[in-house]
Amino acid sequence: MLKRFVSHINTQHFPYTHSLLFELKKKKRKLKSRKPPQRDSAAIALRESRCKMADANMNNTETEHVSIDSEAAHVISSAVECHGDDDDVGALHDVVKGLPSHAVKDLLSVGVCTRCILRLFGIGGNIYSISVISPSILNSVIGEQRHDEEISSNSKELEFEEVLCALCLGILQFTYCDDKEIPVKKGNANDMAVAISELVKREGYQIDSFSLEVSVPPIILENEHSVRLYMKRKYGTETWFQGGPLSQSISAKDALKFSLAKPLETMLDCKSGISNFRIRLTFSHKASKVVQSVAVSKQGCKRIKTGTGSSVDSLDDSVAGDIKCSDLADATVERSFDGLQDNESSECFKFPLEKVNDACRLVLLCQRTPIYFGGRYLKYSRNVSQTRWIIDDERMGEASVEEIIGSNIQPLCQGDNYKFHAAGREDIDVRMLGSGRPFLVEVQNARRIPSEAFVREIETNINNLENKLVGVKNLKVVGIEGWTMMHEGEAEKQKQYAALVWISRPLEDVDLDSISSLKDMQILQGTPIRVLHRRSPLQREKIIHWMKIERIGGSSQYFLLHLCTQAGTYIKEFVHGDLGRTHPSIGSILGCRAEILQLDVTDVKMDCFLTE
Amino acid sequence: MKDHSVDDAINLEREPEQEQEQEQDSLHRILVPDVRDLPLTPPSAIESNFVSYFAPDFTKPGHDQYVYRHANGLCVIGLARTHVAFKDTSGITAVDFNVGKSDRSGIKVTGKRKKNAQHFESNTALCKVNTDDASYIVRCCVKGSLLEVNDRLIKQPGLLNSSADREGYIAIIMPKPADWLKVKGSLLGLEEYKKLREC
Repeated sequence: MLKRFVSHINTQHFPYTHSLLFELKKKKRKLKSRKPPQRDSAAIALRESRCKMADANMNNTETEHVSIDSEAAHVISSAVECHGDDDDVGALHDVVKGLPSHAVKDLLSVGVCTRCILRLFGIGGNIYSISVISPSILNSVIGEQRHDEEISSNSKELEFEEVLCALCLGILQFTYCDDKEIPVKKGNANDMAVAISELVKREGYQIDSFSLEVSVPPIILENEHSVRLYMKRKYGTETWFQGGPLSQSISAKDALKFSLAKPLETMLDCKSGISNFRIRLTFSHKASKVVQSVAVSKQGCKRIKTGTGSSVDSLDDSVAGDIKCSDLADATVERSFDGLQDNESSECFKFPLEKVNDACRLVLLCQRTPIYFGGRYLKYSRNVSQTRWIIDDERMGEASVEEIIGSNIQPLCQGDNYKFHAAGREDIDVRMLGSGRPFLVEVQNARRIPSEAFVREIETNINNLENKLVGVKNLKVVGIEGWTMMHEGEAEKQKQYAALVWISRPLEDVDLDSISSLKDMQILQGTPIRVLHRRSPLQREKIIHWMKIERIGGSSQYFLLHLCTQAGTYIKEFVHGDLGRTHPSIGSILGCRAEILQLDVTDVKMDCFLTE
Repeated sequence: MKDHSVDDAINLEREPEQEQEQEQDSLHRILVPDVRDLPLTPPSAIESNFVSYFAPDFTKPGHDQYVYRHANGLCVIGLARTHVAFKDTSGITAVDFNVGKSDRSGIKVTGKRKKNAQHFESNTALCKVNTDDASYIVRCCVKGSLLEVNDRLIKQPGLLNSSADREGYIAIIMPKPADWLKVKGSLLGLEEYKKLREC
């Protein structure tokens, strides 16, 4: 009952609702139990052909005459390897029969491969996961012509197509050159998927999903455009064309992705989709140097329509040659071709397509997007810089916070390298104490993402290092939001310090009061001389929120100055005055000379990466 | 049989507070220095960060100037204590940057690349310092780009009298490395200068 309904739809109203067909067929298969394909397909073929012929007679269409005989049916079924794709293959047969045979023959003769033909007609979905689609599958459409040849040499049917497809340059035939320029003929999706999954495993990636990205040479789009134009010119008046099948073509990229996705999912044991792990296949080809394109602007199209000659601009070098093409380039080319679709008089296509002698070069790239570790660091040493600091091949300081933390994280993720980001910085001789300073370590291309327990272990390792130069708190894997958290409102953040100050006269009680009474005091700082060589000469207004003097027992001229200031304040210069270029300063407030011996950061008042 | 549960409860409540207090205490302990380690008089910011050079009798006898060179290459120029201008009893009464072809205090240097900075030779005039009786020209001593002049001296020329070696500096110059090497040989170090002037 369902079968008849389906075939009825096929020929009468919606010639090419292939995806719909496949969905219906899938349901049908699930309801019925599987029968051996050979018997079934022959029976189906006979029944279907009878239906079609009846319909054809009714509608008087000339081109949809499909001739099938039982021998041809056998040929079809034995031609395709039955590896469990049986049901798909069966359904494929059915749909293929609906294709216009002369058009298919035409395309085959021009050198277009089977998958390309199928995708041009918009046949979608599951068929791409069928591992082997040989040209003989189209025999059901082509009919008698091929029939004799196939019978005489059975082995030929099972061979992979020898000639590179003129349209997809071998990409959908799973034929390419590897990065050593050695030709590789996988011939089917499974084998190619094996090559990919082997690379993933060899690199040691631990993944729970993957996203497939494919980039193809733009000449393929040109070729498709040429083919479509040609088809339009030749078959534009025929009924099957009017339904607009060619406008539902599936791109070569999508076809390849459909083919590889399922087998890869099985081999990598995870789903394909949006993922932080990207598998990128970039195909490039030594296409002809002169790549023609058209003006994308509306004006250009209009000009062409009125027949004032084509406006052909040659594309940039970015499209010709071996250079890898990005999706963006494809989109640009696509857009320019869309604009031309209705144009009859375009000179910008070549037909028949050039013969392809070399396969495309494929570059396989696996990459994980960067992962981020957030936390707070403490610096206990006055001889450790925040980041690696090398002058004239000599390292300044004993070590750096960046290297200590990064070198303990990156190897455990098996990443390629790391970047260190922190919310502000302190001098090499200034300690970072208290709750610590927020930081992010960005690991590129990590092969594995450590678990929570593992991350805690990393933190313990760093804190238990023998030389106790650096400490880490609240280390954990964070998403990209860690970045915004760190840089949010940077200029408004307050920092708290403790400075060891000496003045040129004994400290008096009144001094403690005069300092404590100053709240939110504004100061003007000229760019400190010690950074003037690399920063702009500016006058910076900064706010000292509060200050407190703590006497040191046993000394009359030394004291601890606790202060809380606006982010970006130069504390050392605020104490000694920087030759008067920062005012007011501690010296100017107390009316004497003041020097700073030591500085410690005691609090970075920020909300991120705090202990939960 | 003592009931410890109440004590335990109180202790539990105190724990986070106690922890915080403990943290503050341990932080405080590392902040406070050991007084025995502290020098009676610590080195000044200039002594710690600059190397002092002197140009005695620069272009004229008695015109002693200093050049404080920072590790980053910048040079602070000023009048040395033994400069003849300080011999006048009145002390320095005015400073005028309008010398040579332009007013040095009017130049605006901007940006990391120090755009608009004027390139001066070592004997180019920076400013004129006046006492009641005389006026003296202060020169660059070092060939390079003039980054800034101490325009506070215009309103407070007395800074030269009170602290010519700090707040009374004259200008900041950025020499090219090659130019510095050339002039370095003609300058005196602190010890040599002291010996020369016996001060």
